[in-house]
Amino acid sequence: MGDANMDISAPSAIEAILKDELKRGDLALNGVAPVLTHMLANSGGSLVSEAIVARLRGMLADLARQLLQATGAVNAGSGKPPVDPDVQSDLADHLAGDSVVLSHCYALAMEGHLSERLERKVGLDPVMSPLVQELIASTNQEIAELAIAILAAQSRFVQSQKRMEMPLGELPAELFHSLMRRWESFPGQINVEDFEGVLEQLKSSYDEGASRVGLFARAISAMQKGARAALELELAGFALFVSALSGLTRQPRELAILSCHERQLARLALGLRTTGLNEQEIERQFEILHPGQMLPDGLDKLLPEQAQAILNKSDPRRTY
Amino acid sequence: MENSDRLLASHGLTDNQDRLLSADDPLADIHLRCGGSIPGAIAIPELLDLVNQARIYGLKLARDFEVYDGQDLVSGFVRVHPQSEDVGGGCEILVENLKRTPLAIEDERVTSDRLNLIDRNTAEIAARLDRQQHLQFLFSEAKDGLGLKEAVEQEPGLNWANYVALEGVSHQQPLHWRLLDGARCTLPGSKRNWRARLLPLGNTIETPQGFELLLIADEPLTRAGEAEKLSKMDEQNHMRLIGSSLAPALRQPIARVVANAETIKSKLAGPLRQEYADYAGNIASAGQHLHVMLEDLADLEVVEAEGFSTAREKVDLIDAAERAAGILGVRAQARQISLTLPEQSKDSAAIGEFRRVLQILINLIGNAIAYSPEGSEVAISVESALNGKVSISVADQGDGISEDDAQRIFTKFERLGRNQDDGSGLGLYISQRLANAMEGDLSVSHVPDGGAQFILTLPAAG
Repeated sequence: MGDANMDISAPSAIEAILKDELKRGDLALNGVAPVLTHMLANSGGSLVSEAIVARLRGMLADLARQLLQATGAVNAGSGKPPVDPDVQSDLADHLAGDSVVLSHCYALAMEGHLSERLERKVGLDPVMSPLVQELIASTNQEIAELAIAILAAQSRFVQSQKRMEMPLGELPAELFHSLMRRWESFPGQINVEDFEGVLEQLKSSYDEGASRVGLFARAISAMQKGARAALELELAGFALFVSALSGLTRQPRELAILSCHERQLARLALGLRTTGLNEQEIERQFEILHPGQMLPDGLDKLLPEQAQAILNKSDPRRTY
Repeated sequence: MENSDRLLASHGLTDNQDRLLSADDPLADIHLRCGGSIPGAIAIPELLDLVNQARIYGLKLARDFEVYDGQDLVSGFVRVHPQSEDVGGGCEILVENLKRTPLAIEDERVTSDRLNLIDRNTAEIAARLDRQQHLQFLFSEAKDGLGLKEAVEQEPGLNWANYVALEGVSHQQPLHWRLLDGARCTLPGSKRNWRARLLPLGNTIETPQGFELLLIADEPLTRAGEAEKLSKMDEQNHMRLIGSSLAPALRQPIARVVANAETIKSKLAGPLRQEYADYAGNIASAGQHLHVMLEDLADLEVVEAEGFSTAREKVDLIDAAERAAGILGVRAQARQISLTLPEQSKDSAAIGEFRRVLQILINLIGNAIAYSPEGSEVAISVESALNGKVSISVADQGDGISEDDAQRIFTKFERLGRNQDDGSGLGLYISQRLANAMEGDLSVSHVPDGGAQFILTLPAAG
C-alpha cells in the first residue's frame, strides 16, 4: 500500500482511522484465499466445512425468525405473522456476534453432522438406540416417561438439523439469557411495543429440564453407575454417548461433541480414559468413530486422574 | 439403576435472597451438613450458584451438581424453577437422583502439602526460627499483632514460646517441634484464638535447619459490633417475611374469600337456607379478621424494623380527626354512637406524618366505637399544652380501663380478655410505636364518668 509516499508531517486523526481501517480490510481480503482453499481442499474432514457453515447460518436465521415471530405474535394477537426477511437476516447477523451462542450452534451442527455420518457409515440409528429402548421398557414409570420424552426430543432434533433449525427452547439457560440480552441491543428492537412483555413470555415458556440436552442430563443422572454403559456408542447412540461423556468427565457437552471429530483424537481418548474405560473399551469406540485410526499404546498406564488433569488444562475449556 | 424408584428425591423453597425457607429431608440434610440453617442462606455452593442464576435470569434451570458435604461426595440432578415477584420472587428446587459416594482418600502427603499451603496463605503472622526454635525475624499483618511485635522488639532472639501463651503445653521448653506443631495459643494484646504451625526447613525433616512459624487466627478481626449487627440484620430480614412477601400475596385470595362469602350471605345467587347464609356470614367475618391481622402484622414489621422513621410534616390534628371520623362514620352509626369532633382552633397543628397520625386515630376511634355501649358518645378533643406539645384525646363512655390493664394495654398481642373476633391485639402497640417514632406519646387514662380516654401527644408545629 502507499504508506511510504504519504505526507507524514501532518498526521491527523482521520488519517489514523483510515489507515487502521485499510489495514483491517487488507487482512480480510488476504484471508479470503486461504479460507477458500481450505474449504475446497477439506470439505470432508475439516472442522469448518461448508456443510457446517451452511447449517450454522440456517440455525442463526431460525433463532432470529423465532424471536421476530414472538414479537409479532404478542403484538398482533394470534397466528404466525410473516417475518420481514431483511430484518431477519440483520438480526441473525447481530446474534452471530455472540461468540458463545455461535459456538453452541456450531457444536450442535457438528453433532448433527457426525450423527448423520455415523448413520451412513456404520448404521447407527440417530434416534432410537438399544439403550433408549431399554429405558422405555423400564418398570419404573418415571424412567420410562423420561425415555419417551428423550425419544421425542431426539427425533425433533434430527428433524430440525435436517431443516437447519434451532429451537429457542433447546438453548442452555446461560445462552438463552445472553441471546435475550443480545436481542435487546438489536437496533431494530426500538420500535417494538411491549418488548418486556415479549421477553417475559419467552422466558416463562422456557424450561431447561424439558430441553433435549436437559432430558439427557436427567437420564444420565438417573442411571447413576449405569451411566458408564452409555459410553458404548453402539448401545447408547451418539447423542446419549456425548451426554454421558460430558457428564462423567465434567466437560461441557459442546466440547464432548467436538472431541468426537477426527481432528480431536487426543481429546476423545483422554475423555474416555477419565471415565475409567480401559484401553480395549476405548479402542472399540475409536473403531466406530474413526475407523483406521491408531491409538497410542499404553493408554492403560495413564491414570484416569492424570487424564482428567490434562483435559482440565486444555485451552478450549475457557471458550465452552 | 439403583434407587431409581425414587426419581423425585427432595423439594425445597427459597426466597428472593436465595435463602432456603423449607426443604425435605435429603436436601435439608445436605444443607445442614454443609453448615446451613433453615431458614438460612443456601449452604451448598453449587446449588447456591444455580439458584442465584435461575432467579436472576428468570429461567427454569436443570443441571447436575456435586458437593462435598463433609462426609461424602453427593451428586444429583437439580431443577430450579424461579417464582414470580408477586409470590415472593424466590425459587422452587427439585432435587433428584441423589447419590452418595465416599470421597476417595487422597495421598497423605498431598493432603498435608495442601494444608500447609492453606496455612501459609491464611497466616496473619509469620516468623522464621533457627534450629533451636529461637526467633530470627517476625512479620505480622495482623492489627492485633502489635503486642507480640513489641514483646519481640524488647527482648529479641528468645525461643518463640516465650512470646506467646501456649495452651495445654506445660512441659519444659524447648519441646520437639512435632509436639508444638498445631498448638493453640494466645498472643499479647490480641483477643483472638490462634493456632501455631511449625514447618521444618532444610533438606531432611529429621534434622531441620530451621523452621517457618505460622500463626493463624481462628476468626477474622471484625470491627466491634459488626458481627452482631450483621446477624441482627439477617434476623430482621427474616422477620420482614410476612410484611414484604406474605401480605401482598395473601391480600387478594383473602379478599376473594370475603367477597364470595358476602355474596352467599346476602343470597345474591338465589334462595338459600338461613343457616347456610349465617355460616357464610361467619366465613366473611373470619376472613375480615384475618385481613386485619395480616395488615397489622405487616405494620408490626415496619415499626419494629431498625431504622424505622416517620416523615416530619405539619399535621392539623382536627383535620386528621375529621377524616378518621368520616372513615368510621358508618361503623359508629351501626351502633348508634355519636362522634363529637373538636371545634376549630388555631393551635391544632402538630409535627408528624399525616398518614401515621390518621392510622393512630382510626385505631383509637375504632376501639372506642367497638367497646362503648350502644347509643353512647365518643368525644374527640384537641388541646395544646404549654411545653411545645399538642395533644388529641379520644374518650368513650365504656367500662373504662383499670390501673393494671392500663399498664398492659400497650404491649404486643394484649387483648385484655376481650373475646370479640376482631382485632389482633397489635393495634395499640403499633399506635404507640408510631407515636414514639414521631417523638410523641400515646397514653390512657380515666374520664370522670367511667370511660377510657386515650391521649396522643405530638410536638406542636411552629
